[in-house]
Amino acid sequence: MGGALPGSRTEPDSTPDRAAEESQQSREAEEETREISRRAVDLARHYAGKIEVVPRVPVRGLRDFAYWYTPGIAQVSREIHRDPGLAFDLTGRWNTIAIVTDGSRVLGLGDMGPEAALPVMEGKAMLFKYLGGVDAFPLPVRVKDASGLVETVERLEPALGGVNLEDIASPKCFQVLDELRARLSIPVWHDDQLGTAAAVVAGLLNALKLTGRRIETASIVLLGAGAANLATARLLKALHADLGAMMVVDQHGILNAHREDMDSLMLHHRWKYELALSTNEGRRKGGLPEALAGAEVLVAASTPTPGLVTAEGIGSMAPEPVVFALANPEPEIWPAVARAAGAKVVATGRSDFPNQVNNSLVFPGVFRGVLDARARSIPDEVVITAARELAKGAEARGITPEHILPTMDEEGVFPQMAATVASTCVELGLARVHRSREEFLALARERMERPKRLAEVLIRNGLIPPMPPEPTGNPSGEMEEET
Amino acid sequence: MTENAAGAEGAGEGETPPVHGVRVRPATVQDIPVMAGLLVRLKRLNEEFDPLLKVREDAEERAGKVLQADLGQPQSLLLVAEGTGPDEGKVVGVSRALVRERPFYLPEREGVIQDIYLLPAYRRHRVGEYLLSETVRQLKGKGASLVTAEFPAQNQIATRFYAKRGFRPIVSTHAKRL
Ligand SMILES: CC(C)(COP(=O)(O)OP(=O)(O)OC[C@H]1O[C@@H](n2cnc3c(N)ncnc32)[C@H](O)[C@@H]1OP(=O)(O)O)[C@@H](O)C(=O)NCCC(=O)NCCS
Repeated sequence: MGGALPGSRTEPDSTPDRAAEESQQSREAEEETREISRRAVDLARHYAGKIEVVPRVPVRGLRDFAYWYTPGIAQVSREIHRDPGLAFDLTGRWNTIAIVTDGSRVLGLGDMGPEAALPVMEGKAMLFKYLGGVDAFPLPVRVKDASGLVETVERLEPALGGVNLEDIASPKCFQVLDELRARLSIPVWHDDQLGTAAAVVAGLLNALKLTGRRIETASIVLLGAGAANLATARLLKALHADLGAMMVVDQHGILNAHREDMDSLMLHHRWKYELALSTNEGRRKGGLPEALAGAEVLVAASTPTPGLVTAEGIGSMAPEPVVFALANPEPEIWPAVARAAGAKVVATGRSDFPNQVNNSLVFPGVFRGVLDARARSIPDEVVITAARELAKGAEARGITPEHILPTMDEEGVFPQMAATVASTCVELGLARVHRSREEFLALARERMERPKRLAEVLIRNGLIPPMPPEPTGNPSGEMEEET
Repeated sequence: MTENAAGAEGAGEGETPPVHGVRVRPATVQDIPVMAGLLVRLKRLNEEFDPLLKVREDAEERAGKVLQADLGQPQSLLLVAEGTGPDEGKVVGVSRALVRERPFYLPEREGVIQDIYLLPAYRRHRVGEYLLSETVRQLKGKGASLVTAEFPAQNQIATRFYAKRGFRPIVSTHAKRL
């Protein structure tokens, strides 16, 4: 977590300095990223996997296996056979999820295939455990088409309390999420859609508050029509944003109902097609400059193309606009440039600038919540509650243009989000267990605390070996000796 | 492969009130450029269904010429739908049809709907039904007592659309590349 930039106000004449400073900062960050990437491979080799399965039960001697396995376990099996719902009480199903991917869009790397997706899913599983106390199994699967993927996940349902879909190409990801949400009786989440969208919406709620705007009337431009922005649009619609005034810009320009590629979208990408029909009522044509003129909010979640958003573009927006430039690693516009051009609130996807829009703020709390409630699904309504809770979480330290979202170290937010998600599931009739918000909060705190205590014990006892020292002089030599 | 679907005589009898403010009227020379654009959109949609329906580079220019020729012919029928709101007065839909003789079958005169296309914003609001019924009514006025429609076999939307109006398949076109 990098610190906030020094000096939070920008006078226009100090801008060139600030911009230079930020691109300097960016070069340093790039160098650091290269450094980290090298070391990540060494560390991956050193530890050979980021998670492992550990028993939850005591084994005092071999005789105890009779409870945990045969013959005793047969009775547990019979009980569940009589009442399948008991699987949530008598096994670890209540806390188990699968992280499923086909590897078709891994990070920003493209179609890497399931094998190459494994380290990423493993890392995510580690985050799920560490941040949310969730037992997550990384499961890249070798399947190409949407219906095959749906079928595969459907077959895994009996073992799972939830599913996290990850790194699946668009528009396949929409079909897979929609179908699985309809078919399964456990929550299904696609983090690239819902996690990001919830964080965006949370940030927007506070940014709008700061600039005296209302979501129902704000004119919003979405740059990029991928998983994140399409889900953001859906959540904004549910929050009664003015879709008719909204403009979505993709690589062909502003989406509008008359665009030449509409029939192709109708057949191949009905989610974008629907959005084109419901947004941009005035049928404005052109590209990003035309969309930005007079707009109050820009949410850019595009394929990284630095310089896509210009100072002039921001300058042409309504006074004190809100600008989210979420491309990673290089945002569509540098925050200092955006602020100098008049932006009142700027957010990015990076931790070294203020206002990081990060799905790690969302998925641990959401999954803790739905798993504690043993929910049957996570409808968008619940996602919105999570977003609202996140927005509220930022208030603890006070909302300012440089603090519209909690940072990852504002840990108090996560159990609160879990409790809110769990009680919303109860209210909506989606929960298998009913508890008060206070009880859910206590559960979430305990369950989110546990992995940290576990790690502490394992590290203290040397069961998790310490990080090998950073190679100096002869890179990685030291580490190869150790393994 | 294309399907040729036929509808019972008398579908869309009488004046139909305008739907969603969309107005259907006969096409004029001034409409040709816009109509050509819409026809090419339809052909590009067809292309999605079958590689043997690949659209030519000069399709739009050709469409203009075809429409120009159609306009003068008593056996052909060209209707346009005018939009509303931001599209007030603009052509947002088109139907292209003709009447022909059937030398071997009864009934003798057939109205053939060759193309029918609406811009996406106007779909699923019964505008298509309205445009179809106007087309059928005017084909009847030209002496047709049977109406057929041609579209790619894979176009489920068209299949459903016509089936709903009482059309069923009577002949089918099977194709093979040489
Ligand atoms: C086909 C077309 C003219 C229909 O016009 P429309 O105004 O959308 O149709 P209507 O609202 O009158 O609907 C009539 C019925 O058609 C069917 N239909 C229309 N669009 C459909 C779609 N996208 N998917 C499935 N069925 C559809 C439905 O059965 C519908 O009834 P419903 O809405 O009660 O389900 C229009 O959708 C269009 O231009 N489509 C693209 C071009 C095309 O395919 N043309 C036909 C081949 S020549």
